[in-house]
Amino acid sequence: MGTQTLDISPVGRVEGDLDVRVEIEDGHVVNAWTHAELFRGFEVILRGKDPQAGLIVTPRICGICGGSHLTCASWALDTAWETEVPRNAILARNLGQIVETIQSIPRYFYGLFAIDLTNKKYQNSRYYNEAVRRFAAFTGKHYEIGVTISAKPVEIYALLGGQWPHSSYMVPGGVMCAPTLTDITRAWSILEYFRTNWLEPVWLGCSLERYEQIQTYDDFMAWLHENRNHRQSDLGFYWRMGLDIGLDKFGGGVGKYVTWGYLPHEDKYQKPTIESRNAAMIMKSGVYDSYSDTHTLMDHTFARENTTNSWYDEGTADVHPFDRTTNPIAKNHKDFNGAYSWSSAVRHIEYGRLEAGPLARQLVAGGTHGESWQHYDGFILDVFKRMGGPSVHVRQFARVHEIVKLYRQAERCLREFKLNEPWYIKPKQKDGRGWGATEAARGSLCHWVELEDGKIKNYQVIAPTTWNVGPRDAEQKRGPIEEALVGIPVADPADPIEVGHVARSFDSCLVCTVHAHDAKTGEELARFRTA
Amino acid sequence: MTNVLWLQGGACSGNTMSFLNAEEPTVCDLISDFGINVLWHPSLGLELGENLQGMLWNCVLGKIPVDILVFEGTVVNAPNGTGEWNRFAHRPMKNWVSDLAKVAKYVVAIGDCATWGGIPAMAPNPSESQGLQFLKRQKGGFLGVDYRSKAGLPVINIPGCPAHPDWITQILVAIATGRIGDITLDEFHRPQTFFKTFTQTGCTRNIHFAYKATTAEFGQRKGCLFYDLGCRGPMTHSSCNRILWNRVSSKTRAGMPCLGCTEPEFPFFDLKPGTVFKTQTVMGVPKELPPGVKQKDYALLTVVAKDAAPAWADEDFFLV
Repeated sequence: MGTQTLDISPVGRVEGDLDVRVEIEDGHVVNAWTHAELFRGFEVILRGKDPQAGLIVTPRICGICGGSHLTCASWALDTAWETEVPRNAILARNLGQIVETIQSIPRYFYGLFAIDLTNKKYQNSRYYNEAVRRFAAFTGKHYEIGVTISAKPVEIYALLGGQWPHSSYMVPGGVMCAPTLTDITRAWSILEYFRTNWLEPVWLGCSLERYEQIQTYDDFMAWLHENRNHRQSDLGFYWRMGLDIGLDKFGGGVGKYVTWGYLPHEDKYQKPTIESRNAAMIMKSGVYDSYSDTHTLMDHTFARENTTNSWYDEGTADVHPFDRTTNPIAKNHKDFNGAYSWSSAVRHIEYGRLEAGPLARQLVAGGTHGESWQHYDGFILDVFKRMGGPSVHVRQFARVHEIVKLYRQAERCLREFKLNEPWYIKPKQKDGRGWGATEAARGSLCHWVELEDGKIKNYQVIAPTTWNVGPRDAEQKRGPIEEALVGIPVADPADPIEVGHVARSFDSCLVCTVHAHDAKTGEELARFRTA
Repeated sequence: MTNVLWLQGGACSGNTMSFLNAEEPTVCDLISDFGINVLWHPSLGLELGENLQGMLWNCVLGKIPVDILVFEGTVVNAPNGTGEWNRFAHRPMKNWVSDLAKVAKYVVAIGDCATWGGIPAMAPNPSESQGLQFLKRQKGGFLGVDYRSKAGLPVINIPGCPAHPDWITQILVAIATGRIGDITLDEFHRPQTFFKTFTQTGCTRNIHFAYKATTAEFGQRKGCLFYDLGCRGPMTHSSCNRILWNRVSSKTRAGMPCLGCTEPEFPFFDLKPGTVFKTQTVMGVPKELPPGVKQKDYALLTVVAKDAAPAWADEDFFLV
């Protein structure tokens, strides 16, 4: 069998503009390049602006993760201005971020991912008819429930910040809101609605308490076979169908994972500094190296960006984000031996390329590094090991596992608010450097800000998608999605659904475009399939 | 059946996310109850690859009717007018917009980026972004002053960062059900039904505005955000406080100053140092007053209002 050529442009259902070039031989991808195809220049726009401009501008980088950007922007200024943040405000920021992610899980699962289970490729699966009944776009019974219910959690965001998306209610020194008992009661009731109308009956097929008993792969298997409700829940159904159609067989990636940690503790991070951050997060930071099965803490000093293969005129050295200058080059020709993306290649100074995202968070959650009081959950790490490492299926499973934990954290915020205590302590502006980090639904997010003469001198952002869709680095090492695409089967070149599965399992904030190229000559072949 | 084709240029997907929050009708209701057929949407569309390219070309060639072209995000012209910094399906997105605007019965710009250029078009506008028919307050934009869609209307602008889901779904339903004739557009092509009143209309802090009782710092349940914190609610056209966001609240109700995001100038003062969350004043008087209010009358009103203000106007108003 010779080289097959095809062109998928775009894959869709990932946000933004991304091209992926794949070379295909004998029905398998043998090489891949990811390239971001949109440049808006937010870092350029922010130069010289008000120090607080990031609070307004950066949520607009991504309307899907706007609350997470706002979180980073606020903590970045908090560390630069050496503020004090009252515990109510820490909880209110955490709650906003949590409900944004809880919103994202059903919206992602039904809206972006599960639709592909109704693809005709799977019509011979014994799960197919049921998948169509549940997950068909717009008309599927659970698609409609899932997409509609996804609007509920962010009502809590609106109670705090007035609206979702795009509020700027988090500010250095605290938050703008001061909720009343009415707001808190409404928030409780919204959470309850979400739980009793979707999370328990449709998604889990059991109570949160029963799901929380699952600690290991074997526990999950026992749960799955315990009764029909578990097997027939969307979670149980997805697990079974995913294995039946082989989603556990491809889409691995770089095998090393990163999370900055998130949800600062309301009593431990009231005087935030960059240095004290790791020891104050409820969800700990870390790098998990699956090759050596080791966990270490993550810190911003380990981050490097490389633009050797990106459309920037910034040299070929690895630089820390504080030292980036964001100089776009005018002619963004695709040169697969040179620059081919607006994304930079992000690296860990020791570990190299890392995958960011829910899988990374859950693998790190299974580590015993960090503080003794920090969150620990070994379930996904156990699944990862028992299933022989990463795949589309494991990544997808990690994506949805977090929801019950975050639900409990949201309840905790509501319990911990002390409504008559302060929500804001007015800070003093000063020059300096700040760093804010968190975990957006789809992975690690960081802002670096440098303030000089009362204005922004430099603002740099590394989004989860930057980690994942980055192009080759100076050593010509592939980025995580590029690596995850290599080796995947493509059964039907007219409908390369497998490429979509991989791209969507990363839940990237980019719209993928996939080009196919002749593996031997490297030239782009006909726009339409010729094989 | 009404065919809707939704594309994104220099966008953040915020309007799509807002659209997905719609409840009456929901996104699924649009399809099942109002005869809307989503030909394609970047987050929701089924087709990929050559199927989508084929569909787009069939739309351009008139083989598939495009009843409504929805555009989210800016039209990116960089570098040097080529649009190569935003490529989609093998072409600069601006070329798709050009071609599709010629065949669309209605064109709807959703959000500030598509209407005025929004944040990407802020100085120095590195992506050379434009709105579809405006750049900030300046008429013309990417499609030009004289552009009319096949139904004879200019681009229908639904601004906001993001646009409220009701503004989006109600306009789509109005078109699908033949009621677009009931909609009047203002000089910025905004449907007046949503954009005639001010953001302040319905704000729970109105009584503090009336008595000139200010919120000087964040995290307060009392006071008006206009006097110190830069709230633009009295000068901004929107229905945010009449229909509420996510069914529950609004920025000003929650304590966040309105940023004026439905107006072409957003973000105001280009976020220059000292302008963020701070009312711009001259000798203690706000530089900008509600439209039609004279400085002298305002000063008089201030004296009277402060004099008449009851003590509770300065107390914690919405108690726990």
